[in-house]
Amino acid sequence: MSEKLTAPLPPLPPVRQWLPPLVIAWLVPGGGHIYLKRYYRGAILGGCTAILFVLGLLMRGYLFEPMTGDLLTTIIYVGGAIADRAAGLLYILARIFGYSAPDVAGHSVDYGTKFLVIAGLFNVLAMVDAFEIAAGRKD
Amino acid sequence: MKMTLTHFEATLILAIFISAVLAVVTKKTDEERFRYGMRSLGWFFVTVFGLAWLMYLGHR
Repeated sequence: MSEKLTAPLPPLPPVRQWLPPLVIAWLVPGGGHIYLKRYYRGAILGGCTAILFVLGLLMRGYLFEPMTGDLLTTIIYVGGAIADRAAGLLYILARIFGYSAPDVAGHSVDYGTKFLVIAGLFNVLAMVDAFEIAAGRKD
Repeated sequence: MKMTLTHFEATLILAIFISAVLAVVTKKTDEERFRYGMRSLGWFFVTVFGLAWLMYLGHR
């Protein structure tokens, strides 16, 4: 039987040290890294998120609204809505400027919907990364 | 304006971006990131072409 040895995590620093980069990372994709002076990583993460989100919009992808029903519907629509909103300002601006596309069948629209969700998930990864850097858990 | 991509183009874009983001957040040095990104992209291609051939042969 093997036992995996992991180093204990350092204690969480004060909230004011990691909350600002976390919030900025959510609002502006890549912004958390730029705030923490990781410019190159911030540019790549922010660029990938923004480009994918814009491509999703151009492909008329559907922005999910939370909807409950059977288990699969709940997972897809609530999960999709959370992922869409994780894109921060990109999502907020799309809504402010009145973006609305129907949830219709078609491979292009379907890819667009996935692009929008994945852009949000990229931003979640960027937020976690920014938090770990700010908390001193990552270089 | 509506953009329409083929399955291959959409998959290719996804593969490139996913490889880049995962490489940046999971690896520590630039060299590790580059190698991981290229390997990830390669596996995406192998999987996409493998599944495409599987579906093609399955529908013959």
